[in-house]
Formats: sequence, C-alpha cells, structure tokens
Amino acid sequence: MEVPLAAAIALLFGGAAYSILRPNLLRIVIGFGLLSNAVNLLMILCGGFRLQNTAPFVSDPNAVAGLMDPIPPDIILTAIVISFAVGALFLTICYVVYRDYGTDDPEALPAYESDEPVIPPHREQKLTFEE
Amino acid sequence: MNSLILVIVVPFLSAIALALLNGRQRLERALNAASCLGLTAFVFWLLHVVDTRGIQVSMIGGYAAPYGISFVADRLACIMLCLSMTVATVVSFYTLFTVAPIQQRHFFYPLFQVLLLGVNWSFITGDLFNLFVSYEVMLIGSYGSMMVGASRQQVRQTMMYVAVNLVGGALFVVGLGLVYALLGTLNMADAARITAELSGTRAAMVTAASMILLLVFALKAAAFPLFFWLPDSYPVVPPGVNGYFAGLLTKVGVYSLLRVFVMVFRQEGHALAADVLLVASGFTMLLGVLGAFCQWEIRRILSWHIISQVGYMIMGIGLAADPALAPAAVAATIFYVVHHIIVKSGLFLVGGVAEQISGSRNLKEMGGGLAAAPLVAGLFLVAALSLAGMPPFSGFLSKLVLLRVGLAGGNFAIVAVAVVTSFVTLLSMLKIWSYAFWGRAHRAHRAPAATRWRGMAASASVLVIGTIALGLYAQPFLRLARDAATELTDPSAYVAAVLGRPARVAYAGPTVAAAPSALHEGARGRLLVR
Repeated sequence: MEVPLAAAIALLFGGAAYSILRPNLLRIVIGFGLLSNAVNLLMILCGGFRLQNTAPFVSDPNAVAGLMDPIPPDIILTAIVISFAVGALFLTICYVVYRDYGTDDPEALPAYESDEPVIPPHREQKLTFEE
Repeated sequence: MNSLILVIVVPFLSAIALALLNGRQRLERALNAASCLGLTAFVFWLLHVVDTRGIQVSMIGGYAAPYGISFVADRLACIMLCLSMTVATVVSFYTLFTVAPIQQRHFFYPLFQVLLLGVNWSFITGDLFNLFVSYEVMLIGSYGSMMVGASRQQVRQTMMYVAVNLVGGALFVVGLGLVYALLGTLNMADAARITAELSGTRAAMVTAASMILLLVFALKAAAFPLFFWLPDSYPVVPPGVNGYFAGLLTKVGVYSLLRVFVMVFRQEGHALAADVLLVASGFTMLLGVLGAFCQWEIRRILSWHIISQVGYMIMGIGLAADPALAPAAVAATIFYVVHHIIVKSGLFLVGGVAEQISGSRNLKEMGGGLAAAPLVAGLFLVAALSLAGMPPFSGFLSKLVLLRVGLAGGNFAIVAVAVVTSFVTLLSMLKIWSYAFWGRAHRAHRAPAATRWRGMAASASVLVIGTIALGLYAQPFLRLARDAATELTDPSAYVAAVLGRPARVAYAGPTVAAAPSALHEGARGRLLVR
C-alpha cells in the first residue's frame, strides 16, 4: 500500500506547490487545502499503515498483532481541525483583501506604506458604535 | 506538580471571560491586567521552586510518560515563562493608554490572551506534537492581534503572514511524522533518550528528518534566508501588542531550536544544524542590520533589528556543536535571549511613545523629542545603547559572554561579523536618536494627550530599568543561565524527571512490548533500541 499512497502524497504536494505559487488568491487558498491533505496522508504513511491492520481493542480486545497505530490518526485529527480553522480564516482574509484592493493578484497589491491611516474612513463609519 | 497547567489555563479562561465581557471596557482592562499580574507572580514562584527543588513535571490526565502528554518546567522553560509574563504585564498596562475603544471592541484583549496562551504553552510542553499545537494557537492569536482595527494595510500584511505560517505549519507536521516513524515517540524526554543510543542508517535518517524541523523553527525565528515575512508584518501590529510580538514570537522559534536541537537531537541533528545555523547567523545579523539602515520608520527599523539580533542567538546555538563549549555557548544564548526580550520589547514600547508625542511614524517628520519629553528620550537612549551592546547595560554583557565563547572555539569570522553588526546597530540607533529626539519639531503637531504618553512611558520604563539591572547585577542571572544550559546539554535529569514517574492510571490492556510484530516499523526500531 505504500507505493500508491506515496504517489498520491507526491501528487498532492506537487499540486499544492503549483497552486500556492500561482498569482491568484483563490488558487493559493486551494493550494493550502491540498497541502494539508498531503501532510495528513504522509502522517498515515508514517504510522506504518497497512490495509489489513485493524483498530486496537475493537475487533478483538486481546489481539496484539495486526493493529493500527492509534497515534497518527489522533495527530491527523488535530491537524485537520487546525488546518480547517486557519484555512477558513485565510479565505476570509483573502476575500477582504480582494474587496479592499479590487484585485485577486497578490503581485498587484501595493507595497508597505507608512502613511496609510490605521482605520480608513470608509470603514470607520460602518464600525461606529455607541461609546 | 499539577499547578503547571495554570500557565495555560489562566490565559485560556481569561480569553473566554474577556470575550464575554466585550464592550464593558473598564472591566475588560482590569481583568486583563489582573490576570497577567497574577500569572506573573505564579511563574516567578515556579522559577524559584524549579531552581531550588529541581524539574517539575505534570502528566496530563495522569497517564505515564511516553504515552501521556507531559508538561515540564525546567529552568529554561521557567525563564522563558517569566519573560513572557513580565512583558505581557507591561504591555497590558501600556495598552491602557494606547488601545482605541474601537480596537478594544474588536476583541483586542481576548486575542492578546490567546497569544499568551500559545506562547506559554510552547514553553511548558514536553511533547513535540503539543509544541505544534501550541504554535498554531499562538499563530491564531497573532493573526487576530495583528488585524485588530482591520485597516487595508493590516489585512494585506496579515494575509502574507498567514500564508507563510501555513506553509511552516504543514512542514512542521511533515517533520513530526518522519520523526515519529523513526523513533516511535514524540515525547521530548523519550526522544532524547532514544536518539542518544542510535547509530548507523537510522541515526542518519533522524538527522534528515530533524532538518525539516530546523526549517520550521528557523522560519519562526526569522533566520536567514527565511526572514522576509517579518519586516512588513510587524509594523502593522497595534502599538503595545507589538512589544510582545517583538520580544516573544521570534524567540519562541529560538527556544524551540534550543529545546529540540540542543536537547532532543543533540547526537544526530545538532552537528549538522549547528553548521547551518552558524553560517545563517552571520547573514542574519548582517542583512538584518543593513536592512534596518535604509528604513525611515521607527517600528520598521526596530523590526529589522529583531532579525539581526536573532542572528546572535542562533550563533550561540551554532557554537554549541563543540561538546567542550556547549554548556558555555548555550548559557550565553539563554542570557542573550533574556537580554533581548527585555530590551527589544522596551524599545518597541518607547518607540511607540515617541510616535505618540510627535504624531508621526515617519522619522523625517519627527524631531524635537528631547525638548518635548527629556525622560522619554533618556529611556530610548538607554534601551538603544543596550541593544547596540554598550556598557554598562545588559547588551554589553550578553555580547561579551557570547563573543568569548566564539573566540574560545576559534570561530573568528563569525565573531568579526558580530562585532561589525554591533557597530552598525549603534549607527542605526543614532539615526533614530538624531531624527526623532534632536532638532526641532518638524511641523505643527497634533497636541498629544499628555496623560496618554506619560502613562505609556511609565509602563515602558519598567523594561528599560530591567536592562540596566540586568547589566549591573548580572551574576545571579548568569548563574541561572549556566544552570539552565547544563540541564539542557545533559538531559539526564530531564529524562529521569519525565520518564521516571509511576503511572497513576493503570494500563490493563496487552503490553506493547510483548508483541513487537504488532507494531509498525518505527516503533519496532524503538523497541530494538530499548
């Protein structure tokens, strides 16, 4: 099972690297999605994955052979939650950048400027609240 | 000792409470300051306990060591916790005067507490996977803190910062997977024990896997050539919190390098990592300081200096490859980290006061700070001279200790680079001094609220006094750094403290050791080693 899994991981890593390097915010977000899947699959492979292995304590509580190592799925679960949360945040940020600058090309964004106001006027109005 | 968990529980509960209290400004500010003060007192007490009674360990849920998650407080972890909470307390008083109501409405304080949670967690954890989780928590806190107020500039720079750290996080998991496949454990003490006995191909593979972690930590520490994300993103962080960012966030990377390469992979990864870090440190120092030289904004100049200062710290880790010099080099690094966190946070906070007084962020539009506020100018001068390494402040001593280790090891090239960098740092500090504090006020400034900048300066002065004290009364701190370095370079006490504890929860299932064939390749290798 290792060779097809390794090939899938390689494909996902390649696709992720290609997407992240595209000058397009949406493709970058998709690239990160692919990247996290590639990493999770790699984690499964690192846990010594074999198709015939079963979950510990479920099929036969006394079995000591042919068990799946439970730690890597545990780690993957945490990694999935984290990458989902950060991915959602990143998508939101990319949308706000698109709305603010009117472009989805990160290379077209202006460089750092020191004189830009901290809270731009158009936003200040929307966010006013009773003080 | 179960109270170790307080260092993450207190910020966690504070973050929730502050989020619920959002909108009740005074209550929120008071609660934030009280939580920081209380936890600061606790971590200093913890440092005292660890220093007198040895390493404290807490196993989460009571599971025995390599299986459960361990929280370990050794001297290095306690030193870092004390620094983190001291800076956090200063920042929470400083922000009483800087945070606009609208920013506070945008969950400024809850996000700050999440940031503290992640940073404290990364110092206290004794498990590599837990370190990854703490990194992510810290980063989520920092994304939020960076965007408070949500100006165009902030969102745009945060996007880049998030993207860089997403790649870093993915690589972290890759590194962890490979290490787990090779060692069968992610517990730092267990891994340190196993790597000490490895040899041959497996040792070489561990070295290769550890290089991925080196990449991740170097990215977080902003070492050459992975520093590009820092100078644009730190200047958009709201004033106050930027002191905490500057002091602590890159130092989490340096701390991880110390913990993982000096302690866990000291046999396999460290020799190669040290060679890489020594070369990288020279470029980091020099390019950081040269980058600072052509900037015209205090916070941007200081951001570039963070990079240059990180060079000194990773130089110490690089010098530790020589076993005879390792304790001295690590001690010098730890002392440098202590000095750097105090001074750099202090400079950012004082720089914020200077901006507040002159009403501008651009050095060309500042001036007259000395006449307007002589005391603030004095604070800046002390912190700037300390950063550049002038006696009698802590910068001089920390550089002296580090350079002596470099000379003892015969690494003259890197020592020369460090000395040159120190001089250019001084030039760059003089640039801020002459533009922001000398001369006349540049234009009709908005009259700043005097109570505001006075309060800011009073909070920041705590850190500036810290650097003077650290310079004049260094012996106890040097002793502490040396003891922490000894613990780190010879982790037998650490390993014994973590692994030698009996399990509170009895394990009734089949013992793993009875059936090696049940385990995957990595764990089997581990059993052979055992």
